[in-house]
Amino acid sequence: MNNMRAIDRSNTTHDIKISSKDVRVSYAGTEAIKGVDVDILDKAVTAFIGPSGCGKSTFLRCLNRMNDTIDICQVTGEIKLDGVDIYAKSIDPVQLRAKVGMVFQKPNPFPKSIYDNIAYGPRIHGLTKNRAELDEAVERSLRKAAIWNEVKDRLDAPGTGLSGGQQQRLCIARAIATSPEVLLMDEPCSALDPIATAQVEELIDELRQSYSVVIVTHSMQQAARVSQKTAFFHLGEVLEYDDTQKIFTNPDNEKTQEYITGRFG
Amino acid sequence: MTDATAEGGATPQRSSLLELDERTRKRNAAEQRFKLYGIGAIAVGVLALLFLLITILINGVSAFQQTFVTVEIELLEERLDPEGNRNLDEMRKVTTFGYNPLLEAAVAAKIEALGLETELTGGALRALLSGGSASQMRDAVLADPALVGQTVEFRFLASSRVDGYMKGRVTAETVERDRNFTPAHLELAVAMVERGTIEKRFNMAFITGADASDNRPEQAGIGVSMIGSFFMMLVVLGLSLPIGVAASIYLEEFAPKNRFTDLIEVNISNLAAVPSIVFGILGLAIFIQFAHLPQSAPLVGGLVLTLMTLPTIIISTRASLKSVPPSIRAAALGLGASKMQAVFHHVLPLAMPGILTGTIIGLAQALGETAPLLLIGMVGFIASNYPDGVASGFLDPNSGMPAQIFEWAKRADPAFYERAWGGIIILLAFMLTMNILAIILRRRFERRW
Repeated sequence: MNNMRAIDRSNTTHDIKISSKDVRVSYAGTEAIKGVDVDILDKAVTAFIGPSGCGKSTFLRCLNRMNDTIDICQVTGEIKLDGVDIYAKSIDPVQLRAKVGMVFQKPNPFPKSIYDNIAYGPRIHGLTKNRAELDEAVERSLRKAAIWNEVKDRLDAPGTGLSGGQQQRLCIARAIATSPEVLLMDEPCSALDPIATAQVEELIDELRQSYSVVIVTHSMQQAARVSQKTAFFHLGEVLEYDDTQKIFTNPDNEKTQEYITGRFG
Repeated sequence: MTDATAEGGATPQRSSLLELDERTRKRNAAEQRFKLYGIGAIAVGVLALLFLLITILINGVSAFQQTFVTVEIELLEERLDPEGNRNLDEMRKVTTFGYNPLLEAAVAAKIEALGLETELTGGALRALLSGGSASQMRDAVLADPALVGQTVEFRFLASSRVDGYMKGRVTAETVERDRNFTPAHLELAVAMVERGTIEKRFNMAFITGADASDNRPEQAGIGVSMIGSFFMMLVVLGLSLPIGVAASIYLEEFAPKNRFTDLIEVNISNLAAVPSIVFGILGLAIFIQFAHLPQSAPLVGGLVLTLMTLPTIIISTRASLKSVPPSIRAAALGLGASKMQAVFHHVLPLAMPGILTGTIIGLAQALGETAPLLLIGMVGFIASNYPDGVASGFLDPNSGMPAQIFEWAKRADPAFYERAWGGIIILLAFMLTMNILAIILRRRFERRW
C-alpha cells in the first residue's frame, strides 16, 4: 500500500493550487491563527492535524471565506487560489465558494429530497440547461460520491432519512455537484462509525484524481491513510508541513513527534 | 491523580440501599410537593377557564334566540298606494307612520281572533312589537308592490320587553316601573304566548344583522361590525406580515450586530409590552389628525392594529428563524449560495410554521383588541349600514366586533347586555377557529431536519 502511494505521488503533478502567506485570524482581538504559510497542492490530499483549538478548522474556513459569515472574525495576510488573491476587494465570496466546496463535520443535508439536495448547487449556479442534464449531473455526483447504488431507487426520499454515513457521502456528492476545484473537509468522519469512515476515506482517495482536497482530522491514522501532505497545527501556528510519510515516520519537530505518538493532545 | 488520593480523606460511608437516608427522603418529599403545586396551578387554571366558558354560555346563548310575533296584515291600497298605479316613487312617499295604523288594526284583529280581551288600543298595542316593525312592512311592500291589497302574514320581532319576559329578564315587578310596557301588555303577551302567536326562534339576524339604536335592542346584530373586523384584519394581514417578516429577516440574518441594532431589538421587545391604548392615541395623532384619513374607518383601525401586531410577528418570526440550525445556512453558503438564496431557499421554508403561527396569534390578538378602536372613533355610533363595496368597506365608518360588544355592554337596557355576551361567543368562535387554523398550518408545514 505504501509503495503504491509512493508511486502515485511521483506520478501526480504537484502544481500549487492554493498558496497562503502570513495568514492571521483574530476573533474580537484574540488571535486564533498567528501567521500560517501553507501551499496546498493540486490533485492531492492535504491533511491538517493538531490538538483541539489549534486553529486547523479556522484556517480551513479561510480558504473559502466561510469566516466572513462570522462578524467578529478578522483575516489578514494573503491567500491565493491559482495566483488570485481571494481576499481582494473585487472577489465575491459567493463565486469563490462555488469553486472551493466544503463538507462539514456534521452531515447537514437539506431537509429536501436526495435529488434536490444534489441539484441545488447546479440550479443556483445555472450549470445545467435542462432537466435531462440536471438528472445526469445528479447521477454523476452521486456516483462519484459512491452512494448512487444505495439511493438510485429513492431519489425522492428525504436526504435526512439516510444513515449518518450515507448523509455525509450525500453532502460530499452535493459539494461535488457544483464542480469545484478544491474540496475542503472539516472532520468529515468524526460523526461516523468505522465502516462509514472507511467508505468516506476510500472516497477521498478517489476524489484526489480530480480535485485538490484539504481535510481537517483528529485521527492521525486517517491523516496517514488518506493524505499526501500533512500540516501539523499547534496553538495557531503550523509547526511542520511536509510529506505525510515524513511527518509520520521522521518528523523534524519535537512537538510533532510528541503529538503523533500520543504524548499530548 | 496523586493529589486526589492524598486529599480524599473521607472514606465512603456504607449504607443500605433498602432504607432511604435523610437526604433522599427530603429530596423525594420536595419533588412530591412540587408536583402537587403544579397540579394545583393547573387545576386553578382549568377551573377559571371552565367558569369563564360556562358563564359566557349561560349569559350569551339566549342572544341567538329571539321572540317573534306572527300577525296577518291587510295591506290596504288606499293607505299605501292612494293613486292605485303601483308607482314606486309615489309609494315611497308613504312613511312608516303611514303603515302604523295598518299594524295597529292587524294586532287588534289578531287579539280578537284569538278570543282575548284587553283594554289596550291603538298605538299602545304597538308596544308588543319591535319599533322596527313598520319599516319591515314598508320594505316588504316596496320590494314587491304586488302585495298591496292582499292580506299578508308577517313575522315581526317582539319588543325587547316581551323578549325579556320570554327569557326571564322581565317580570311583573319590573313591568310596574316601566312606562312603555304596562302590566296589561304583559298579561296580553302571556296569553298570546299560550296561543302560539308569540314564540321564540333562532335569530339569524343577530349574526348577520346591523346594530340598532338604544330603544330597539331586539333588532341589534353583530354582522356589520363583523365586516368591519374583516376589513381591519385584511389591512393587518396585508401590512404586518410582509413588514414584520422582512424586518425580522433583515435583523436576524443581515443586520450587523452593533449598538444601533441592539437598540432596535430592545425597543421591539418593549413595543410588544406597550398598552394597546397607547397605539390607539398614536393612530389618532398620525393617521387621523396628521394624515387626515377618515375617522372610524376600518382602514385606520387596521393601520393601528398593524402597529400593535408588528412586534408580536417580529418576535415570533425571529424566534423561528433562530431555531433553524446554523448548519443549514452553512451548507447553503458552502455550496456558493448567496446569503439571500440561503435565507429564502432554506431558512425561510423551515421557519414557516413558526412564522405562520406567530402571525395568526398576532391576528387573533388584533381581532380581539378594543382599546385602540375607542380612540379612533370606531365606537359610540350605530354601525347600521353594510358597506357598499370594497372601497367603502375600508373607508366608511364602521365598528369592530370587540368595539361593538363594548358598545352594547355600556348601554343601559339589559337587553343589550345579553347581546354583549352573545357577541363574545361569536368573537371567541372566531378566535378558536384562527387558533385551530394555526395548529393545522403548523402541522402541515412542519419538517424535521
